[in-house]
Amino acid sequence: MAGKSGREISAEVKGGIRSKILSWEGALILILVAVNILGVVISPNYNVSNVLREMPRYLAEIFMMFGMGYILVLGDIDISVGALVCLAGTVTVLSSNAGLPFGLAVVVCLLVGLLGGMLNGFIATRFTELPTMIVTLGTQIIFRGIAEVLFETWGNGGGTASMTDTKGLMLLAQKIGPFPIAFFCVIIVGIIMITVLAKTTFGRKLYAIGSNKTAAYYAGIKVEKMRFICYSLLGMLAGLCALFLLTATFGSNTTTGQGFEMEVIAMCVFGGIATTGGKGNLIGGFIAAFIIVCLRIALGQRNINTQVILVIIGLMLIISVLVPSISNSIAARKKRSAA
Amino acid sequence: MKKKVLSVLLATTVVASLLAGCGSSAAAPAADAAPAADAAPAADAAAPAASSGGATYALVTKSAGNPFMERMASGFQEAVEASGGTVVIQNPEAATPDAQISVVQSLISQGVSSIAVDGNDANALTAVLTEASNAGIKVLSLDSDVAPDTRAVYCNQAGVQQIGETLMEAVYDLTGGEGDWAILSATSQATNQNAWIDAMKKLMESDSKYAKLNLVEVAYGDDEPQKSTDQTQALLQNYPDLKVICAPTTVGIAAAAKVLQDQKSSVKLTGLGLPSEMAEYIGDDDAHSCPYMYLWNPIDLGRLAGYTSIALVDGSITGAAGDKFTAGELGDYTIEEIDGSTQIILGPPFKFDPSNIDEWKSVY
Repeated sequence: MAGKSGREISAEVKGGIRSKILSWEGALILILVAVNILGVVISPNYNVSNVLREMPRYLAEIFMMFGMGYILVLGDIDISVGALVCLAGTVTVLSSNAGLPFGLAVVVCLLVGLLGGMLNGFIATRFTELPTMIVTLGTQIIFRGIAEVLFETWGNGGGTASMTDTKGLMLLAQKIGPFPIAFFCVIIVGIIMITVLAKTTFGRKLYAIGSNKTAAYYAGIKVEKMRFICYSLLGMLAGLCALFLLTATFGSNTTTGQGFEMEVIAMCVFGGIATTGGKGNLIGGFIAAFIIVCLRIALGQRNINTQVILVIIGLMLIISVLVPSISNSIAARKKRSAA
Repeated sequence: MKKKVLSVLLATTVVASLLAGCGSSAAAPAADAAPAADAAPAADAAAPAASSGGATYALVTKSAGNPFMERMASGFQEAVEASGGTVVIQNPEAATPDAQISVVQSLISQGVSSIAVDGNDANALTAVLTEASNAGIKVLSLDSDVAPDTRAVYCNQAGVQQIGETLMEAVYDLTGGEGDWAILSATSQATNQNAWIDAMKKLMESDSKYAKLNLVEVAYGDDEPQKSTDQTQALLQNYPDLKVICAPTTVGIAAAAKVLQDQKSSVKLTGLGLPSEMAEYIGDDDAHSCPYMYLWNPIDLGRLAGYTSIALVDGSITGAAGDKFTAGELGDYTIEEIDGSTQIILGPPFKFDPSNIDEWKSVY
């Protein structure tokens, strides 16, 4: 059942076109369309150019959503990535300001992300008895702590630094037509990540580990190696996120990336990926990410209180997780009344 | 095979629906967007003749749930509404520049006439504010400045030097001229906090009068009550000879005042605080932790930013040094050039002590 949708709307319908429409992904597409229609209805400024212009900051987060999807499918979790974005961004800005050419700064950015991810992976796989939530809580504090120390020692103090040579970032912030470059990168990375998870043995192994770690181990899957790879991959995507975030902020500070880890996990869960592992697919997460982004932009344009927007997204998340149990209980009641 | 087809289908639908969702709107709002874009210059042209009616003036605060920001926003609203303009007040979801970027991006989409921003970071907003200016929106800052070349003018609550001198003098007075003292600040990257702290440090170096004062630590409470409380307790524990804590932030001073008063500590407190929050701690005797403190009027600061927004939008000022305008009941102001950036200074900080705290605590 690898690649199976992590969430069922109806417990009864199996097979046929109806099941496709009633799948969680089908529902998500409908929600996405609905959100876009809602946007047009409530805001006169909700149009292609405005939505795409407001999008880059959110697009950066979506890179990490793919990596987080892998981690969640494994049944693990990583809450350090927001801080890792901060660290990667900070190192990039400071090294660029110290005279590193932009091309190398990009490499440094991805490398810092990769190393951070490898550290997570190393601790999580060497000390398997530790819950990954705790491991990454620790590294979260470490990453942000290092970033703050870097600001103090190499920055101009004050916990913030902006890039002095912005030429390279300007290049990345460019648009092709109305589309920011980040948009294409997200699509490309997305297609690769979705295909690998859904269509390759590598992806299949992740589902196996997430479903039953012990069985996967006895089936000959190198469980710890796979986990290490996934953590490293997520780290590198955090580096990519930091890079594209820089194209919006042209600098880094001690609050950069704050809360990103939770937003990214929310996208995955809303997309149907179960945090217990072994269930869900990235297409769902991908659509869910755009639903959340479009909803934020639409409500933002109506000047709805940002705290209220957070409440709405929180409610959506809870309801989406409740859908299977609600529909199951309805089905059970029907069966009972039929009998 | 079926699955492959399905996944490809789904992937394309995602992109397609996104485009369609946006695309379908493109036709309709294209018509809307054009007048919206026209509206701003039109307002520019019409405003000097008539009033500022029709224009929309936005204020972006640092964060929600901060009493100082709320008072500032109310002053801004009052000033703009009095002259017939529309007000948009946006509190970002977190006290971070990232959250402010999203808010400003949204305001650009809405085609507002002006954006007054209280920066969470001096530089992180540079790109987005430049984009706003390019879209024909007048940008100004208040309370905490942003990069000078990204905004027309900065509404400064008080000169940095003035605040530094006032607070240093208070520390000198409360310590009796010698001994250990500490600063409890907000976040380590808050522009205004850092400028004041720097000014105080420079005064200590340059003026031999302060030679016997010893600044032991600058602690950061991040403008969160709990963290500020923890930091105050840490200061008391780490420096037993501490005489004075100076907290140039409203959240920090309130948290510190409570800690000192609850523990009946001999350490005295001064800084910048809201009278309504600090009234129970202000007093000359040992039962109170704060003998006196300072602040400007956040309502007036909001008002000043409101009147400045209007003047920028109607074209009566451009933000250049020497420009003069009348800010309603606040009186006449002139834009000054200070350290290479254009500013409007509200006035000197106001002293709150036991003699006047009762009349002010109900105001703000």
